[in-house]
Amino acid sequence: MDYDKLLNISVELGCQLMSSGAEIYRVEESVRRLLQAYGLESPEVFAIPNCVIVSVTTPEGHPITRMRRIGSHGTNIELLERCNALCRQLCTQPPSVDKAQELLSATVKGSPKYAAWQVLMGYGIAPAFFSPLFGGGVTDALAAMTGGLAVGICLLYGSRFIGSNSFFRTAFCSALASLLSLALVQIGLGNSLDTVTIGTLMVLVPGMALTNAMREIMAGDIISGLSRAAESILTAAAIAIGSALGLGLVEML
Amino acid sequence: MILIWTDYILPCVCACLACVGFSLVFNIHGMGKLICGVGGALGWLIYLLGGSTIFAAFLASAAIGVYSEVMARIRRCPVTGYLLVALLPLVPGGGIYYAMSYCVAGDVSRFLSTLLHTFGMAAALAVGAMLTSSLFRAAYPYLYRLRSVKR
Repeated sequence: MDYDKLLNISVELGCQLMSSGAEIYRVEESVRRLLQAYGLESPEVFAIPNCVIVSVTTPEGHPITRMRRIGSHGTNIELLERCNALCRQLCTQPPSVDKAQELLSATVKGSPKYAAWQVLMGYGIAPAFFSPLFGGGVTDALAAMTGGLAVGICLLYGSRFIGSNSFFRTAFCSALASLLSLALVQIGLGNSLDTVTIGTLMVLVPGMALTNAMREIMAGDIISGLSRAAESILTAAAIAIGSALGLGLVEML
Repeated sequence: MILIWTDYILPCVCACLACVGFSLVFNIHGMGKLICGVGGALGWLIYLLGGSTIFAAFLASAAIGVYSEVMARIRRCPVTGYLLVALLPLVPGGGIYYAMSYCVAGDVSRFLSTLLHTFGMAAALAVGAMLTSSLFRAAYPYLYRLRSVKR
């Protein structure tokens, strides 16, 4: 068997799982199970949020290691589900290594993605229905929807102008949200500044990082858990700093 | 009757639709969108019934934890997506905002109390969902065996 190829496939699978938003224990477990299904005795897998290291020893006693760095990424649940299903399939009936490679690249390529306008619609719908939860009316919902669309455009297309630094991006988007809701309330669309702003900011809150941080810590991956917890606190701080800009303007007016 | 409608049903419908909106952002397809929406509505209903306190948030996130574990078992999918999206309406975005507004206004005592309340909410959410998730995982093999014995 070609162990180099097998190692490449398993690292690729781990990388895809991680960049679609899987937890650490899922990545480590999937890769380990896959390698064990191909008859390797004790494969070693180590993962932290931006790096996957896989090391195997071939039956001849020759050790091979591969490391893969993972950049900043979003969340893609559909790809996560498909990779998980593929891993389960490969583990129950391991096909030849070449076939497995084909299946993996077909899965990654064939995973459906929403078009940009659909994602943008999601960014608009969510704030529109969040502002009633915090006590807003119909006009507040419309204002929050406008704000959400603006933030969505900024997140989807603005990375060229505001850079890929997530702290700065969040701060910028939340400043945009608070200034825009201030303007909308001033011209009469929306009654309460607070509900409009909170509805829009809900798009940016670190719910994802917070939930994942706790899952990692409970699963015993303390390093990853702490780094994700730090991420969520930083994001919250960025939201606060950004929205303070809009509030400061209100104070001055 | 009208009270029930405006106080409970309407907010739950809103939470459901907001979660569906978020599931577009996280690229969830098919039945997953509906599951996320119902999970969000369930969580928000329990939060409202519990009186919108920190303990209510804990109960709501515990319910979401069990709900998403069950759904993940039924659909044979990772639990992450459902849990994430259904918890989102409960994440204290309002707390962050109000804490910041008191800070800008220079009201130190209200700033600190809001900040602590926000942290409490976040901790309640995280602990509630994870606790029930882990309990469910521990209990699941027994439940599964019981069910197959009955058959």
